[in-house]
Amino acid sequence: MKKLCFIFMFLISAGLISAQEIDNDLLQIKMRMDSIKSFNAQIKLDVDISFINMPTKYGKVRYKQGEATKVTSDDFIMLPKRGLDLTLNEIFEHPFITVNRGEANYNGVVCKVINIIPTTSKSDFSIATLFMDTKAKRIVQSEISTKTEGVFTAYLAYQNYVDALPSAVEVQFAVNSVKIPLRFLGKETEVDRNAIKQEGSKTGKIFLTLTDFQIEK
Amino acid sequence: MISLISAEIYKIRKQSKTLYALAAILIIEGFVIVSAYYQGAGIIDLLLDNLKDSFEFKGNLLNGNLIIYLILNSLWFHIPLILMIIISGFLTSEYKDKTIETVMLQPVSKLNFILSKYVVSIAFTIFIVLLLAVSTFLVSYWIFGRGDLVVYLDGLNFFKSDDAFNRLILAFLSGVNSMVFFSVVSLTLAVILKDATKTWIVSAIFLICSNLLLKIDFQNEILNELFFSKLTDSWQYFFYYKIPYATIYFKNLLLLSYTILVMLIGVIIFKRRDIQG
Repeated sequence: MKKLCFIFMFLISAGLISAQEIDNDLLQIKMRMDSIKSFNAQIKLDVDISFINMPTKYGKVRYKQGEATKVTSDDFIMLPKRGLDLTLNEIFEHPFITVNRGEANYNGVVCKVINIIPTTSKSDFSIATLFMDTKAKRIVQSEISTKTEGVFTAYLAYQNYVDALPSAVEVQFAVNSVKIPLRFLGKETEVDRNAIKQEGSKTGKIFLTLTDFQIEK
Repeated sequence: MISLISAEIYKIRKQSKTLYALAAILIIEGFVIVSAYYQGAGIIDLLLDNLKDSFEFKGNLLNGNLIIYLILNSLWFHIPLILMIIISGFLTSEYKDKTIETVMLQPVSKLNFILSKYVVSIAFTIFIVLLLAVSTFLVSYWIFGRGDLVVYLDGLNFFKSDDAFNRLILAFLSGVNSMVFFSVVSLTLAVILKDATKTWIVSAIFLICSNLLLKIDFQNEILNELFFSKLTDSWQYFFYYKIPYATIYFKNLLLLSYTILVMLIGVIIFKRRDIQG
């Protein structure tokens, strides 16, 4: 009898989940993003990770509908694996459901918070949380928990109230300290190995500043 | 003095061992470039391994600048070894062939004679390091191109191509000072020991010990700062993200003082000692 009850409850809950629709505000934002056929912009990258010293890098970002966002530079650049999906294409790549988590204040703006839960194992993230400025129809914060690459949190800042694309993106993620190849060290005596072992995982940040947008709608 | 220096330069040019030394240095450089290429790919992989989860990398780090940096790391043992053998030979061969006695029969002062040896040894060392630097830059850039340099020193330091080029140039220039020190030591050892084989052995031991002592922490700040073996790696300081110029100047000046001191010891011993081999 207990078994039957459990199966009954499971079927009901499964039915409820499948019946959930994608959040309407998210669809509105996605529609707005889909209106952008392509864009080009200049990009400035600053890395803030305790064990990395890197000068500011410059490049170009190019997006074309149906294609992944591409960043090019004459220099060596490190791009976060998540956080550059300005048009939400990666999230919408596979089917998902949304769960409304209420409202939250973000930089003085009351935002709608939703969870995105993929309904297929093909998706490379297990859950995402989006903070949506529903009045301005845009995402201001996203937190994506990937299956293999950790959690990426992106904070998006916009130059004015009407812009669909952000002028600045800050991406935060956990990063492990570097393994040190001893042969590569010039001054081995100055390496505090114990400190390095204790460092473990750290929060890394990358700041992307986007300028000179050329948007084709 | 100038005629003595000219005579020394003439001797170096005519000696076949000079050509052998140049050939040996260029062959070593070739080997190091090949090994640096294979080593470089592994090093980049190791350095960036933990970052691969969070980042995508765009651009090529296995370029001429990294190869030159790896060459710099490898050469500071091989080159002084060859230089010490060649430069000590400038004097030991004179003892062996007894040409020093012939020279001393001429109106030549012992001071000027030994000083000219030191001057030519220093000039030869500078020439070799510059030759090495020019050939390393040309070959590395020609084969591997230019690009950003990544170095692990107090963290992962990334340098833009132009910045890396300037730092590598400065590192070679600082390295000249270290090379000159070892060359002067070998000539002073030649003054003391006179015999070629003994001088080579002692020079090699000196070089090996210096390299080992460089990596040993003496647990004493003064020794760690002032001992000569701790001064031969000033070139590495150019690869800290913020170059500690004050430390580099201090280390180089102190090493130069050691060089002058060793040279003075050599000059004094040579002047006081009987010239017979």
